[in-house]
Amino acid sequence: MLSIRVFYLDKTMRVRINGEDFLFTESVNVAGLVAQRKMRPETVVVEHNNVILARDKWEETLINENDTLEILSFVGGG
Amino acid sequence: MEDSLIIAGQTIKNRFLLGTGKFASYSLMRDAIIASGAHIVTVALRRVDTQSSEDNILEYIPKECIIMPNTSGARNADEAIRIARIARAAGCGNWIKIEVIPDNKYLLPDNAQTIRATEVLVKEGFIVMPYVNPDLADARRLLDAGAASIMPLGSPIGTNKGVCMRELIKILVQEIKLPVVVDAGIGRPSHAAEAMELGAAAVLVNTAVATAEDPVLTAQAFSLAVEAGRIAYRVGIAVPKDNAEASSPLTGFLR
Repeated sequence: MLSIRVFYLDKTMRVRINGEDFLFTESVNVAGLVAQRKMRPETVVVEHNNVILARDKWEETLINENDTLEILSFVGGG
Repeated sequence: MEDSLIIAGQTIKNRFLLGTGKFASYSLMRDAIIASGAHIVTVALRRVDTQSSEDNILEYIPKECIIMPNTSGARNADEAIRIARIARAAGCGNWIKIEVIPDNKYLLPDNAQTIRATEVLVKEGFIVMPYVNPDLADARRLLDAGAASIMPLGSPIGTNKGVCMRELIKILVQEIKLPVVVDAGIGRPSHAAEAMELGAAAVLVNTAVATAEDPVLTAQAFSLAVEAGRIAYRVGIAVPKDNAEASSPLTGFLR
């Protein structure tokens, strides 16, 4: 399912998160995004444009137009 | 006599390894881990569902367990390497079960890609447990690459068919100086015991436990079978004979 969030009609920014496109109108950092999506920071790993992002870099890392984010966590597996 | 399983310098307290997939709930999974005494448990990495907040599996795994993420979903060495690095960044240590599976029908691993991923990840300090087709030449390559163990499949994942690869696994046990952990296809406790009687160092089970009617008791049954099979291997298995040999005295009473 494609989820698109549009907060304002002008100047949107396209970001790919876990394979889906999202539109943002405000700049956001990774920490903000994780909080916004109601994820528990201690349980997820973030890959930003194919680079693993340590948790202490989440605040300073701003998300830009056409960025790709993978947000992952552990699940059951054999 | 001491009979410790040592992998990568660490004493593993139980030769039964449990996969955590397919359990009806994380609490059931936790109870199965505890009932079996499993010391190494596997987990997988997945994209977070951005629409719902999910429970954290790690909170249900006893603290004394070694958590070994797998690279499921990887179709080649590069994907496996990427998943391994992400898993380590998640902060669960440096154990990794490499599985590279390009084939969705039989879920058979790609040994060549697995060897390549092992070479890279060992150099990065990972404790690598590669899931492979039981092949002697490839097992030697994995040993040379620095794998901590070798995990040959008993039969394809989730098939419950048992140790179909027994002759090849026996060769690995005899020839490769690494712990051989039979992984996949183990459907019943007797299969697990059979793998151990062959000389496997350990057995990993997931589907047969997680999808059992009572996963907790089933986990315990597998763990006991692993222990029994291990003892049998150590003391030596009786040789089959064509002619009967009485176990009770046949004379000296009626005649």
